[in-house]
Amino acid sequence: MSRVRTEPPAVEARGIVKNFGSLEVLRGVSLGLYRGEITAILGDNGAGKSTFMKVLSGEHRPDGGELRFDGEPIELTSVQDAQDRGVETVYQDLALAPDLSVAENVYLGRELTLPGWLGRLGTVDRVAMMAETRTVLRNLGIDLKSYRASTRSLSGGQRQAVAVARAVKWARHAMLMDEPTAALGARQREMVYQAIRSAAQRNLAVLLISHDIPQVLKLADAIIVLRHGHTAAEFVPSEVTVRDVVDAMLGEGKSA
Amino acid sequence: MSTGSETTAGQTQGPDAMGFAARARQTTAFWIFLCLLVIVGVFGVISPNHVFFSLSNLFTIALNAAELMLLTVGMTYLLGAGQLDLSIGANLTLSSVLAAMTIVSFAGTLDEVAAGDYPNLGWAVVAGTAVAVVTGTLFGVINGILVTRLRLSSFLVTLATTGIGLGTTLVITHGANIPNLPRSLQTGFAVNRVFGVVPMPVILSLLVAAVFWFVLARTRFGIHTLAIGSSPEAASRAGIATGRHLIVLFGLMGMLTGLAAMVDISRFATTNIGGHQTDNLQAIAATVIGGTSLFGGVASIPGAVIGTLVPVVLSTGLVIMRVDSFYQLIVVGIIIILAVYIDQRNRQSLK
Repeated sequence: MSRVRTEPPAVEARGIVKNFGSLEVLRGVSLGLYRGEITAILGDNGAGKSTFMKVLSGEHRPDGGELRFDGEPIELTSVQDAQDRGVETVYQDLALAPDLSVAENVYLGRELTLPGWLGRLGTVDRVAMMAETRTVLRNLGIDLKSYRASTRSLSGGQRQAVAVARAVKWARHAMLMDEPTAALGARQREMVYQAIRSAAQRNLAVLLISHDIPQVLKLADAIIVLRHGHTAAEFVPSEVTVRDVVDAMLGEGKSA
Repeated sequence: MSTGSETTAGQTQGPDAMGFAARARQTTAFWIFLCLLVIVGVFGVISPNHVFFSLSNLFTIALNAAELMLLTVGMTYLLGAGQLDLSIGANLTLSSVLAAMTIVSFAGTLDEVAAGDYPNLGWAVVAGTAVAVVTGTLFGVINGILVTRLRLSSFLVTLATTGIGLGTTLVITHGANIPNLPRSLQTGFAVNRVFGVVPMPVILSLLVAAVFWFVLARTRFGIHTLAIGSSPEAASRAGIATGRHLIVLFGLMGMLTGLAAMVDISRFATTNIGGHQTDNLQAIAATVIGGTSLFGGVASIPGAVIGTLVPVVLSTGLVIMRVDSFYQLIVVGIIIILAVYIDQRNRQSLK
């Protein structure tokens, strides 16, 4: 796949360092996430994947290095701050409230209110929220039987899709995903990958943490391998094999 | 673009276009309401001269339920948010004692009050009501602060504040009730029937229930309450200030307890220090009977109203039938088990 990147990356990390006490988890991670592309981060356990993602989601503040959005240096002070800047995260545990409806989950904390004095009292516009939620999910290729039903009643794949849809709905800049298909069967996995692909097509920079290397080779536009808190390698998926990637993850590429 | 599932638009309309009746049938409150109708029907048919069906009897039942209804409405919010308040009985006692003392001391001099003369009645009642509501709210807010700031379970915190509240009440009163409350509290409010039929406390409780229903079912505040009960992590990741929200909920529970305290002393023209030991369990039982989940995330105010009526209808009916009203306790116990069972089964069928 040939890519023409004329603009600066939507999200750029330059030498990000993060320590927990004396433990150096990130020792200089540099990478760029581009709009419309899916970037996968691979790495062995403890390589720093999740920590790096939490730096981008605003949960951790880096101890060194620089973040840039569209070329502008920025600091993320909280998850809320990152969300305000258009960065949405799909957590491994999804962070859905199982008793709330699909629409309520998609809008949780950002509910639509009715016009007029009822709205100023915080009265929500359920009809609009449901219609909009249906549209967002359909645009990702997902049709649910009910948008009023609790998310508890959905299948694992559908719940995952709702979490992705929520991120797509609110993300203006980037979408971060931690192991979005770890707990799913093959069919549901395909459904979620489909949704991730359509998210990228909506001009978002997508970051994906996954262990499923063959799937990542098919899905991602760029692969970045982390090892011991460093950016160890960058690949274009069409030009590498699973073997190359595994070697980079384990640090055996150069010795071969 | 290919799609993951091939459901057609027509099919997807189905469940969301479902009518009100169809959706109601899925709620515990609906089934308990049917139970209630059956119980009322049975008592009505077999009571002598069908006196049970008389409007005056039905509103007497409502009056007997009015005080508990205020507590149940607050408990519905707390259980819905995954919390619990065991201290409402102690809070009610303390609030009613302080309110009664305020009324008695504001209404006139000691001699005047002892003689049943209350020159400053109006202001005394206003001040007493304010004291009841403020005391109740503060009690609740303290519960909320202890639960959220010290990260203690609400079960333990409110068990502890039950003792603190009761102890404080006994220290203040030396264990004696506050007598000599003006009878006009009864005639003007508690047993005063609007249009000669509807007791005023019933109107108060139903108004409160209506407002709290609207807030729970239709507003962001309601959604956030249930979100916290369903998954505190999801709620806080969605930017909801869960700690502050819970303190407000405990405060509202306390405010409603203060209102209930006013209704209590108005009805009986005296405080009732020993009479509220089981208010907490009654309110929790009524809440659960109405379909609110003990595990949080699901709550129903209409259910709470119905759940409050069930025990009162039973005890009134049994009295009219000249059956020992102690049987009421047994029947209510069975209904609680039934309600929790229905709730559990509904949840499992969703899995």
